[in-house]
Amino acid sequence: MGGYLISVWRCRYFWLSLVKMDLRNRYRRSVLGVGWSLLHPLIMTAIMCTVFQRILHAPMPDYLIKVLAGLACWNFILSTTVQGCQCLYQGEVYIRQYPAPAAIYPLRTALGALIHFLLALCVVIGVTWYFKGFDNWLVLPSLIPAILLLFMLGWSLAVLTGFSNVYFKDTQHLCDLGFQILFYATPIIYEPSDLGGGLLSRLVQCNPLVPVLKLFRDPILDGRLPDPSTLGVASLAVSLLAALAALPLWRLQKTFIFRM
Amino acid sequence: MACIELDRLSLTFRIKQQGRRSLKDLLVRQIFQGFRSPVTKIRALQDINLQIGEGERVGILGHNGAGKSTLLKVLAGIYPPSRGRRLVQGQISSLFDIALGFEDEETGWENISYRGFLQGETPRSIRSKMPAIADFSELGDFLNMPVRYYSAGMRIRLAFAIATAIEPEILLVDEVLSVGDLAFQHKARQRMREMMAKARLIVVVSHDLESLANLCDRCIWMDHGRIHREGAVQEMIATYSASVESNRNTAA
Repeated sequence: MGGYLISVWRCRYFWLSLVKMDLRNRYRRSVLGVGWSLLHPLIMTAIMCTVFQRILHAPMPDYLIKVLAGLACWNFILSTTVQGCQCLYQGEVYIRQYPAPAAIYPLRTALGALIHFLLALCVVIGVTWYFKGFDNWLVLPSLIPAILLLFMLGWSLAVLTGFSNVYFKDTQHLCDLGFQILFYATPIIYEPSDLGGGLLSRLVQCNPLVPVLKLFRDPILDGRLPDPSTLGVASLAVSLLAALAALPLWRLQKTFIFRM
Repeated sequence: MACIELDRLSLTFRIKQQGRRSLKDLLVRQIFQGFRSPVTKIRALQDINLQIGEGERVGILGHNGAGKSTLLKVLAGIYPPSRGRRLVQGQISSLFDIALGFEDEETGWENISYRGFLQGETPRSIRSKMPAIADFSELGDFLNMPVRYYSAGMRIRLAFAIATAIEPEILLVDEVLSVGDLAFQHKARQRMREMMAKARLIVVVSHDLESLANLCDRCIWMDHGRIHREGAVQEMIATYSASVESNRNTAA
């Protein structure tokens, strides 16, 4: 695995140039350009707060910040997974000319989404500072390991959906549908306690995205470091997913080209 | 030391007629066994034994579909063999499908950069080569425009200029010898000769027998996935040409 990561690192100029190109192309000839990456989470949060804050009687501005932070993470995971379905096809012309490690194509997708996530995170921090202020700025560096974990989660998901879509063409549609369901099974617009203490609440708590969201919400919203147990559970979930993603890279790296 | 060794190498493509499988295929066709999607086996390469040592310049000729390009892709490490062994020592640089892989929204300069990176260049090395690449392509101010405004010939010029800016150890070339207009072809041939002089080992696929005769010293004749014959380039070209002529006369 170490040798594989080194070979990915050796191609770094190529996949970094693809990421740069994707970012340029996304907003080419657009008036707002990268401003859309800042505006989109703000508008979605405003809509969610307007609709759900009254239903859930959640206190403001905490609810606003919670939803904004949750949506930023969610959009990252959604875009890496759904765009990840096409990552190998997007790179097909290069795959057929140059035997690079296949992981660079999902990496391209994950890095592009990460840049948009970081912009959204800046918006979250800015909004928090404006509405609440920060009692303890010193906890914000704890977001760095959270960002790394989220990135690994996104990269692993992009690998899995990318390879899956080569062998099973309904992957993209399943992802679209699955994430619609998962959105409501993830406490982005509500707290697990809002579901009562029953089975549904416990099931939601088992969602591996819950500790990942807490790693961002605890420092930003409450000004405290996340619990070591939260970091532990999130790290374990991401490690398991990364190990699962390593499987197609190990077994299918050489042969997936025959299925394209 | 650069060398290529293929030992009883075979490559079989298994093509499912339905292409990628959908959920409908899995649920419906798997239940009713008789409707299983048939698989077509294409034996692209069969029992290839090949040794190419340092300093050799090998040409590959044969009919369309003989397996020439497939053999090059196996040498490049793009296709894994189904059976047998592949041993390639040395840094591989390949010129396949050079007109593909342009990013249409990017300018010529930007395409030079990222295609250079694909070939293993670093930002520093590609920056130092950019003036020479631009000069060789003769595209001038067009390099400042997005590639989607280029004609097919301009794309080929740019692709060839970028692709041949590398310093290869093992060079694999697939049908890139006939590029551009007549004036550019002279330039292209000269550039290929310069590249080949620097490379330690070359394998060239081409239908241009004159170029093969000028560039190679040994030739392999591929036929239906097998090495039909191999030998000195002039002898192979003469034999191959006579065979094609004979087949044509028989068909007539």
